[in-house]
Formats: sequence, structure tokens, C-alpha cells
Amino acid sequence: MAEEKPNLRWEAEKGLLKKNPVFVILLGLCPFLAISKSVEDAIGMTLAFGFVLLGTCLVTSLIRRWVPRDVRIPMFVVIIASFVTITELIVRAYSPTLREHLGIFLPLITVNCIVLGRVEAFSSKRSVLESLADAIGMTAGFGLAIISISFIRELLGTGGIKFFGYSFTIFGQPASGFLLSPGGFLVMGGILALLKKLGVI
Amino acid sequence: MENLLSILLFNLLINNIVLTRFIGLCSYFGISRNLRNSTMMGLAVTFVATSSSLVTWFVNHYLLTPFGIQYMRIVAFILVIASFVQLVEIIMRKTMPKFYAAFGIYLPLITVNCAILAVNLINFDENYSLAASLVNGLATALGYTIAIVLLAGIRERLSYEDLPRSFRDVPVAFIVAGLLALAFQGFAGIGG
Amino acid sequence: MKILKPVLALTLTCIVWGLILGYVHRITESKIAEAERKEREKMIAEIFPGCSFEEENSIFYCFQNNRLVGKAVEVETKGYGGTMRVLVGINADNTVRGVRVLSHNETRGIGSRATEPSFLSQFENLGKEQLAFKPQGQVEAITGATISSRAILEAVKRALEYG
Repeated sequence: MAEEKPNLRWEAEKGLLKKNPVFVILLGLCPFLAISKSVEDAIGMTLAFGFVLLGTCLVTSLIRRWVPRDVRIPMFVVIIASFVTITELIVRAYSPTLREHLGIFLPLITVNCIVLGRVEAFSSKRSVLESLADAIGMTAGFGLAIISISFIRELLGTGGIKFFGYSFTIFGQPASGFLLSPGGFLVMGGILALLKKLGVI
Repeated sequence: MENLLSILLFNLLINNIVLTRFIGLCSYFGISRNLRNSTMMGLAVTFVATSSSLVTWFVNHYLLTPFGIQYMRIVAFILVIASFVQLVEIIMRKTMPKFYAAFGIYLPLITVNCAILAVNLINFDENYSLAASLVNGLATALGYTIAIVLLAGIRERLSYEDLPRSFRDVPVAFIVAGLLALAFQGFAGIGG
Repeated sequence: MKILKPVLALTLTCIVWGLILGYVHRITESKIAEAERKEREKMIAEIFPGCSFEEENSIFYCFQNNRLVGKAVEVETKGYGGTMRVLVGINADNTVRGVRVLSHNETRGIGSRATEPSFLSQFENLGKEQLAFKPQGQVEAITGATISSRAILEAVKRALEYG
């Protein structure tokens, strides 16, 4: 057990940059471009996503020895869908505004490629601690990606950032095109090209 | 009740699920490298989206609503979709083995296609009738198909061009998608 | 027999999680209803500040100093992107007190402009006869967001008629 400790740190850290689920592996794009219009929403999305990922990885890792191979995908999917439903109920109970902002993308976490991808490739085959470390890393990576893109889009699109009641404005002539869908695609394309240039991906 | 034609046009072009609503992107960028695969994916998505819309309507009206378990809709819908894809896979394996060998790996991808689950959720949220649900499923999926075929066609051409290295393959795909989305914004005024 | 194990595993999974979800649903049900009620009350308080409400048949009657000041009605209407829920505050003399959009799915930056105060404020103090687009009435639609504007107008008209 002792020699696995350093591995845990690697499992957690790889999700942040080296194997960033969004920028490197290009998964989980749907909520990514839609919710990245405001930093507040992005944080909410990351939390919801993290809850689902951590919960699912934990459960699938715990039961991994009893999952028949032929039926594993439907079983995983039911577990993911259940965690998403739980998340939806909790969000509706404590912040209906967030539920409204996330809209259809909260239930769509169910088919978020990152979740099913990590479960299938990792947590259904590894120990509980490793799976949790991986899930934490992936959530951090997802959060890093979505919050940084939201920062850019919200700043350029509205001229400032609104953050839990505090807001600051930089300039008063925003280019609201960044908030619409073409802007999202273009910003993402630019960021990916930049990361490629820097050798990160 | 609802105007079926307007639902068709709306979800096909004006509110295109990929380019305007950002739903269905994972497979969008993954598959659109190849035009033929994209077309097949589009057709498969259309089939699954339309048929699952049909089935989930019945699930809504005879299971979820009468028993008051609407909160189970996510689990129920995804099970319907997964079962459908499984069904398609079994049929394909038996009747078209060569086809299955070429495209079989894409089938699991259809299960997690955000667009299909999204359409079923929208049918539920908007309380569409059976006819409207079918039209919505068909229109949305066709919109996805149009979007992915357009992008794939362009990407295939671009792969022969001499782009700056940091833009090749994926980054330029996003930029093209952005331009397509911009073009589709032009539909925004249609229908009043 | 080979089929039995997977089917059993899947069925068991569905049952177990179905029960868990049922439990979570039961314990969050009241909290959800209360949270949504609070949101609505917050909106109503914006239109009728300093009033106390009483609800009857989904209409909120607003009292100030035991006098009926007006009422707030929630109306559903079909916008560009789907159903919109609009809250209309009505004065005792049947003119519009204020309008707020509770939920909508309009396109951000285009149709969503019809849900903003700059558009909604023009409904204030209008009576039934003035509820039409210019030049017949007093309401100015938003350019490029005709459907969204019309949806809100319809909602306000319906609120005055049936509220």
C-alpha cells in the first residue's frame, strides 16, 4: 500500500494539465461551450460535474468485481444518471437560479464523455483511492478549462465579471459576440491553437 | 396545437442543436474528420433520435406522469436510448456484418450523443404531443446531420492545405465551426 | 444461464438506484417547493415592495396596510425558444404595475433583451387598451426580437384579461 502513495498524486495531477480532459483529450465539450459565458455558472457547473464524477467513480470502483462485462455500460450509465438526478434535485433545492442557468446541461452531464470515459477506462479497473484521485484530477482539469474560457468570454463579452454579488467592470464597450455561439467556438479554437503552439498539447 | 412546421424549421435551422445550442459536440469534432463517417453518424443519430422520441413519449405518458416519478426521467430516457442502440447493434451484427465491422465502433458513441438525450429532454420539458415529439426528434437530428456533414466536408478539404502547425486539425475545426455558427445566425430572423 | 447473471445485475442496479432516487426525492421535495416559492416571492416583492401577500388560486393578492394594492399573476406564454413564465403585477385599477420574466429560453443577446428591464418597464401603468404594438398601442417591440416581444405582450394582455 505504501508504494501506491506517490501514484495517487500522479493520478490526481495528470487530470489538470497533461491529460486535461477538455483541452487534451477533447471530451466533455457540450456543457463546456454553452456554460462558459459566465464565471459564476462555470463554477456551478464544475461543482455539479465534480459531484457526479466523484460519486460515480467511487461507486463503480467499489463494485468493480461484480460487474458482468456484457452489461457494464448500461449499469454504468444507470449509476451516472442516478447521480445526475440526485445532483439536479439538490441544485433545485438550494439554488433554483443555478438550475435555470445550467438549464438542460445539468441533465446532460449524464452523457458527458468525461464521466463515462473515466469510468470505463479507469475506475472500473482500479482501486477506490486511485479512482478518487483520478476523479479529483479530472474535475480540476475540467474546472480549469471551463472557468478560464468563461473568464475570457465574460470579460470580453460583457466588459466585466460578476462573482457572487461582487462585480467589477473593466471597460464599457463589450463585444457581445463572444457570448454567442460563434464567439465560443472561435475562442476555443484560438485557445487550442495557442496551447498547441506552446507545446502543451 | 403546436405548429409542426414551425417546430421542424426551428429545430432544424434556426436553433440548430450543434451550431446554436452547443449540444452534441463531442462526437461532432471527433467524427467530422471524415465525410463518409460523418454522414453515417448523422443518419444513425437521426434514426435513434426519432425512434427514442417515440418511445420516451409513451414512457412519459404511461409511466412517469401517472406515477408521479418525473424525477426518474433522466434514468428512464438514457435506458431507452441505450437499449435502442443495443438493438441496432444486434440487428446490424446479424444482418449487415460487413457494415457492422466498419461502423460498429461508432455505435456506443451514439448512446452518449448529447443531442439524442437532449431532444428527449426537450420533448418532455415542452410537453410536446406525440406528433410534435417525432417532428422535433427528426428535425433536431437532421440539423445535427447537416452541421456535421458541412464541417466534415470543409475539414477534409482543409487537410490538404498548408496551415500553420498550431492550427492544424482541431483548432482550425473550431474556427470553421465558429464561422458555420455565424452563418447559421443568419437564420435567426426567419419565421418572424 | 449465461444471460441470467448480467440481466440480474442490471435489474438489481436499476432497483437499488431507483430506491435511492426515490428516497432523495422525498427528502428534497419540500425544500425544492420552498426554494421555488421563495424565488417567486422575491420577484413579486420587486413589483410590489413593502406588501404582504396572500395566495389564492395561484394569484397573489398584495396588501398594504390592509388595503388591496394589486395582484400578481403568473402567465405562461410561448416565446421564441419555448415556454416563458411571466409574472405580471396588476394595480387595483387594472393597469400594469410591473412585469418580470421568471424563466425563458430566448436567444441570449437577441430575444433575451425582451426579458430585460429596459423592455419590460414600458408596460408600467399601461391599461388594456394600450397593450398593443405601436402605432395601435404603446408598446415598442425590440427590433430583431419580434416573437419574444410579442410573447411578453400576449402574456401581459392575458394577465389583465383573466387575472
